[in-house]
Amino acid sequence: MANKFTGIGSESKQLATWYFTFAAILLGAQLVFGLVAAIQYVMPGFLFELLDFSVARMLHINALVVWMVFAMFGSVYYLLPDETGIETVGIKVGKLLYWIFVAAIVVVVLVYLFIQVGPATETSIWFIHEGREYIEAPRWADWGIVVVALGFVGNLFLTGMKGNRSGIVTVLMADMIAFAGLYLAGMFFTDNITLDQYWWWWVIHLWVEATWEVFVGSIAAYGLIQMIGASRKVVEMWLWIEVAMLFGSGILGIGHHYFWIGTPEYWWEIGALFSALEPLPLVAMFIHVMYDWGKQQGKKVAGGSDESVVANKPAFVWFWMNAFGNFLGAGIWGFFHTLPQVNLYTHGTQFTSAHGHLAFFGAYATILIGMFYLAVQGSNGIKVLKHTKASIWSISLMVGGMLGMTMALTIAGYVQVLVSRAQMGATWAGYFDGQQGMWFAQAMDWRLIMGVVMFLGFALLAKDLLTTGKNPVHER
Amino acid sequence: MVEQVIMRQDIALDDFLTIFVSSGLVLVFGGLYVGIYTAVKVELLKTWTMPIAYIFWVLTAYCLYLMGSLMHVGEFTAKALVVAAFGILLLPHAVYYMQDQVHQQNEH
Amino acid sequence: MAKISVWSDNRFWQRSAAWITGFAAVLLIWLTFDTAGQIAMGTDADLQAGVTKRVPGPTVINYKITYEMSTKRGHEVPVIGEKEMFFGRDDYSEEEAGALLHLGKLGSQTKNCMNCHTLLGNGAYYAPDLTKAWLDPAWQDGGTMQAMTGKSTKEEAMAEFLQHPSTYPTHSRMMPDLGITPEEAKGLVAFLKHMSSIDTNGFPRNFGRMQGAVNGK
Repeated sequence: MANKFTGIGSESKQLATWYFTFAAILLGAQLVFGLVAAIQYVMPGFLFELLDFSVARMLHINALVVWMVFAMFGSVYYLLPDETGIETVGIKVGKLLYWIFVAAIVVVVLVYLFIQVGPATETSIWFIHEGREYIEAPRWADWGIVVVALGFVGNLFLTGMKGNRSGIVTVLMADMIAFAGLYLAGMFFTDNITLDQYWWWWVIHLWVEATWEVFVGSIAAYGLIQMIGASRKVVEMWLWIEVAMLFGSGILGIGHHYFWIGTPEYWWEIGALFSALEPLPLVAMFIHVMYDWGKQQGKKVAGGSDESVVANKPAFVWFWMNAFGNFLGAGIWGFFHTLPQVNLYTHGTQFTSAHGHLAFFGAYATILIGMFYLAVQGSNGIKVLKHTKASIWSISLMVGGMLGMTMALTIAGYVQVLVSRAQMGATWAGYFDGQQGMWFAQAMDWRLIMGVVMFLGFALLAKDLLTTGKNPVHER
Repeated sequence: MVEQVIMRQDIALDDFLTIFVSSGLVLVFGGLYVGIYTAVKVELLKTWTMPIAYIFWVLTAYCLYLMGSLMHVGEFTAKALVVAAFGILLLPHAVYYMQDQVHQQNEH
Repeated sequence: MAKISVWSDNRFWQRSAAWITGFAAVLLIWLTFDTAGQIAMGTDADLQAGVTKRVPGPTVINYKITYEMSTKRGHEVPVIGEKEMFFGRDDYSEEEAGALLHLGKLGSQTKNCMNCHTLLGNGAYYAPDLTKAWLDPAWQDGGTMQAMTGKSTKEEAMAEFLQHPSTYPTHSRMMPDLGITPEEAKGLVAFLKHMSSIDTNGFPRNFGRMQGAVNGK
């Protein structure tokens, strides 16, 4: 493969584009299996006993986690040379690990698809899947992931220590070691389901509501410097404040997952308190982006120019969507069912699903897609990357589709709370009474329609990412 | 003793919608308060709009109160909600103050 | 140059971030030790002595379990009552019950239960919550599910359903055949019975309070 990058860090940036490419393919797979699962809600006979809901959903959420991890690794390899001023140390090992990672994922997916379930033995846990939501990967793959993650963290540390260790790199170094280390909490078997879920949440919560959020903060800082030329001093100081706020509220925010799994009642108070604080950093991140952009644009206007300060339009819109989506999906949709008094009724309903969809998309998918665009700009040597028809339509359709799905799932969740929970208390009959309600059924139809809209948006995104680099509209 | 009451009372069926809407609005109003405040400070909006920002904060506090009372929160959670309301009130002041300090130091 | 304020000093915020993160992490670890002690599985001796554990030992399958309102705690809690037959026995030893639970927990993972059902409220939302499935009115004597399988006890009815789920459809959304063997089914039922005895702080609320309500009214 010819390397389109030149200068310092060209190898690292090339590896980043490999990571991004596979991430985008997995994003497509995530949407396909999501559509299968959405169809099954509407037509339960669809692919019954061929590709059941459990398998489709496992692929849907695993593709989600893995494409995001790929895009995150890619983002780090992309920004390292810019931040440290040197080529990434151990880039050869990095490239080798990339291929090992890809091969392992292909094997895992094939086993999920064609073996699906195994007998109730340890062997199935080691070689088929672990059956634990989000981290289903079989035990052999767990160890593979540990090796790959160690190699990645090692490269990051060696590069950070050899080159210029900027604030962003320092935060990433600390964050990525926590991110990799936490995975170990999900790698053991226990007969005690309460203990099982206790540690399972260490992985899931401390990833998505702590270490991943800090990662997003670092990427946003890098993006603001690259795209609108924000002052590094301000951005980095702000990053430290965000780290303090995100970890300060997020680490103990894990309490909101410990209300009902058999853990002691004091988690009600801890969970309620820290959940109430969790939206604050998200609001703050939003102000920060607005403030920096306002200041930079203001300077340009004062200098007599009405030109935009933005060097990469699609990426900037996706970063902007990130600030907004994080606040909307993680903030609003998280907060309104998080206090224990109301979570007693909403826990385990489509509310969680609505929140999960909007939060993963708003907080993570958006900014990582923004990074894809930065890589397209870099690999084609473009000075100012502008919008194309496809980029505008893909943003509109993906964001619109996601908001539509979220609204539909929220309505479905509301029906479940009233019928299946508040009145019938989550029995078998209560569950199906809720599912048969007219509002619930309608909501599931709309969810599917909006899922198709989202998929169309993705198709345009893929087209734009592949072709925009050659488009003559950009300034070179 | 008070905390024992925390989960005793069921939420009335008709209250669920109000609870969900008001707790969603907490952050919407909170965001508007913070947004307008910041916009006025960086001179994107005229100064007279500042009272509107504070009206949004009052609405935020009211929604927190409404949500908390309908879901029959205990004493501890009630206190946490009051702290959150004042946290939102102070947040944009603190953020603006710090941003401004850094800019002053770097640009003058 | 203006006087350096501590609020705009990068090093100050770097240290604050480190201290806050460290403090939160230490608090979480400390709470984890406390919680781990409280959620450790009980023993057969605890059950015989009537000691209440948040997660009872596996031999809880020898006893009758109910879910009752506790006026002291203000919500429903599982109550372990007198002895009860489970697949024709009520004298499972700690080893036998433990082995059955082990098989059931393994089965719950390898059969991927969590990607359709919720367990303790966590998982997917395509099928009913299994937290208190053992106590569900549908499986009791005279319940619709027990009647459908033609078995005379709820454990046998549940085991029969698990082995041939698509033979007993309850809804157009059916459970697929997952190749569950009779022994695995027995283990899974033991796992479900054990899970229903876990103290979940009153989740789910009002379990089975109302039956046959339509459209919420």
